Amino acid sequence: MQKNNKILKIDYEKCTGCRLCELVCAVKHDRVSNPVRSRIRVIKWESEGVYIPVTCQQCEEAPCVLGCPAKALSRNEDLGRVEVDYTKCIGCRTCVSVCPFGAMHFVATDRKVIKCDLCDGDPQCVRFCEVEAVRFVDTRDLGLEKGREAARRLQAADRKAVSLLGAQ
Amino acid sequence: MADEDISTAEALRKTRTYGKIRCQNPSCMGRIEPKAGQTHVKCPECGMEFRVHWLRPDFPRIRGPVWEVNRKLAEEALKKKEKER
Amino acid sequence: MALKRKIAYIDLTTGEIQVKPIPVEIRKQFLGGRGLDAYLLYNHTKKGVDPLSPDNVLLISAGLLAATCASATTRTHVMAKSALTGLLGSTNMGGFFAPELAWAGFHHLVIRGKAEKPSYLFIHDGEIEIRDAGNLWGRSTTETQWAIREELRDPEVKCLVIGPAGEKLVRFANVMTGIKDSGGRTGMGCIMGSKNLKAVAARGTMDIGIAHPEEALEFNKRFIDQIASSKVNQTQGTLGTPFIWGATNSWGGVRARNFQYNQCEFADDIEPERLDEIATETMGPHHMAGCFGCQVHCRARYKLPSGPYAGKYDEGPEYTTLGAFGAMPDCRNAETVLTCNYLVNQYGMDNLETGAMISWAMELYELGILTREQTDGIDLRFGNDEALVEMVSRICGRKGWLGDTLADGGIPASEKIGRNSFDYLVQVKGMNNLHSDERATPALALNVATASRGSDHLRSRPAIDLYHLPEEVLRKIYSSPVPYDGPLSSDHTVYEGKPWQVFWQENCYMAVDCLGICKYHTVFLGPTHPNFEDWAKVIRYNTGLEFTPKDIWDVAVRCNTIERMFNLREGLTRSDLKKGDMLNHRYFDEPCRRGAPGVVGRYIDKEKFIRMVDELYEHKGLDKEGVPKPETLKKQGLESEPSHRL
Repeated sequence: MQKNNKILKIDYEKCTGCRLCELVCAVKHDRVSNPVRSRIRVIKWESEGVYIPVTCQQCEEAPCVLGCPAKALSRNEDLGRVEVDYTKCIGCRTCVSVCPFGAMHFVATDRKVIKCDLCDGDPQCVRFCEVEAVRFVDTRDLGLEKGREAARRLQAADRKAVSLLGAQ
Repeated sequence: MADEDISTAEALRKTRTYGKIRCQNPSCMGRIEPKAGQTHVKCPECGMEFRVHWLRPDFPRIRGPVWEVNRKLAEEALKKKEKER
Repeated sequence: MALKRKIAYIDLTTGEIQVKPIPVEIRKQFLGGRGLDAYLLYNHTKKGVDPLSPDNVLLISAGLLAATCASATTRTHVMAKSALTGLLGSTNMGGFFAPELAWAGFHHLVIRGKAEKPSYLFIHDGEIEIRDAGNLWGRSTTETQWAIREELRDPEVKCLVIGPAGEKLVRFANVMTGIKDSGGRTGMGCIMGSKNLKAVAARGTMDIGIAHPEEALEFNKRFIDQIASSKVNQTQGTLGTPFIWGATNSWGGVRARNFQYNQCEFADDIEPERLDEIATETMGPHHMAGCFGCQVHCRARYKLPSGPYAGKYDEGPEYTTLGAFGAMPDCRNAETVLTCNYLVNQYGMDNLETGAMISWAMELYELGILTREQTDGIDLRFGNDEALVEMVSRICGRKGWLGDTLADGGIPASEKIGRNSFDYLVQVKGMNNLHSDERATPALALNVATASRGSDHLRSRPAIDLYHLPEEVLRKIYSSPVPYDGPLSSDHTVYEGKPWQVFWQENCYMAVDCLGICKYHTVFLGPTHPNFEDWAKVIRYNTGLEFTPKDIWDVAVRCNTIERMFNLREGLTRSDLKKGDMLNHRYFDEPCRRGAPGVVGRYIDKEKFIRMVDELYEHKGLDKEGVPKPETLKKQGLESEPSHRL
């Protein structure tokens, strides 16, 4: 299998806050609708109209992997993800505590932890997000897109400066 | 997808048109196809004039009428109708 | 499973709470949401009940498909006998409340009685508590919601609330959730206020099983693609519901200066494109937001750019707002429209009814029917932005003689103002009309005249009639799921075939109101949007219930009949201007003066209109007086209502 270089990229400013990603995530993984089973969560400050989807970053030096006393968490390089081996997991929730993003969840009814598994390469959150707030992109040149946007802004600023100087 | 599985809504999808707008005069409803970036159009059928807004470079919509032309046409039509009455 | 969601009976007087399952046989007859609410209202109120008394019941519901894997199953429905109209009170809103209620274990709440002191309900994972709302009374709709979250220490709690308008029993007070999601029509917030019920808070973490999860997921994708690829959706997802203004105010379908004109001219500052600029300037290019699970994302996030509330965050405005605070009072400034939008959202008051009442008062003032003494010194001319904003606050607070008078709704206000003020009130069944002017569109006129909750565009409007679709496209839409081979016309100015379109739309909208799906996912504004056939699949995949498209149609017809039965019981009389299926005389007597040349001079022909009503009654199985025929009741299984089965 070819090594997966793709990651979930979240452009939170594009998020419309609809939480469809949460719905389809739960249905895909657990065959039920229930946002507490979702591996992606839209965190909201509704009084300001701010919506931010949060999910596992599949960290290279993952605190959950480092912290797991049962060595149940490990990095799967083929699928480009951090995954839970439920045969080893003791349900201590250390991973939930140490995750800096709050992306590890504990499902109280099942008494088990859950995390994003990238749907084995076809993330449903991405598939359903029409506004592309969540995308599945290659890591090889991750900064390029932002770089191009920044460069465009610089160019616009430069033009403005030139025209201002010309007007003096 | 089997044909019999397609709903009425899905079957009608092929009737959608893009890039065109309709004249808003109900006794006309002519099709107008503005050129890219054009901000004013005149209906070739009835003479109503509209301001055009572009949602995307390939997606025009009517923003509203050209007010002075609209008022003139309406007043003429009203006079005519009152005469007929 | 969605079918496991329960019904709770809550008596606020005694504090008694009873929980029951909802039998599948009832689901098969009424589905859920608005339809089942209508059954419950008919069964749980007595004839002539005083709307403001503890005996009136307040019904809050989620649709059958709420929070399932079906697109935009987000709608909350609220029903009661209305204190505005004395007839059916019914309102429907988006947001995130209904799914949360379903995750908390419930689909229907039947609330009766009156709490001794301000209270709110907290519903969480099968439990219901009545809690003290003393510290919430008097607070705005948003403050109330954030305060409840703080008190319950849970930012994910979703609330239905009333604002100060509901507390003061303004007859057209909203029930609201979020920043601007409003159940605005028929004043259900007033009923909540009369019960001392400030809010219903919900938080749920219970699974809703999906009968066929893979199919449900795949069909949802297909459903969304069908909608998202349409032109109407792409427009609405960019400009919000105000996008409609571009067409209606171009041809002359917007009532301006109450009902004097049918177009709001030179109104560039309140056009959707201008409002979109404001949202972009204050919230950035990606400022559209969506309700639960919806890819239409039709509401804008924005900050007020100027005026007394500059910098405040708000959402909307909706198409309705442009008419209510722009066209009807003739105030064509974005700042005014947005200020009023902010105020009604905070007060919890119907934007449409508020704007229409003030505009009516403005016309009365112009005519000298209202004096400056009666307006408490306000120079209530058309186009006086300051007076408009001031009146919004006065109505909410019932301040001054006029504020208090208008807060009671159109018909009581007209009786108090006297003279011929009623002639200028553009209402049906006691509720004001939207800012749409239907004089050039017989189908739409028939819709507002016969809508079950009073003048209303969301009950049976065949809006696609304005698109001049080819007849074969109309035929395809309107002859399914039941055959129809009568007349249909692409011309929106004619009378032929329109009653069938109104009948079809009435059933279409009832069906989605039962399921809890938003109307923007139906043949409302998009002729190629999903339909009965698609809902049959959505129901099967999500709940396992087998419905044919025709079965869903039959449920919708039945639910519309029971709404009719309620209205008849409470006094609906066919030709009564105040309680019937009749239009204000201005539709028949005053021709359109503006708009496209093909619209100018048009008015509704009264004889033809009456024939349309006759024809609609025939489609609905009603007699000439608008009463269901015995065979209709039998056919629809309603002959022994009230049956008290739930």
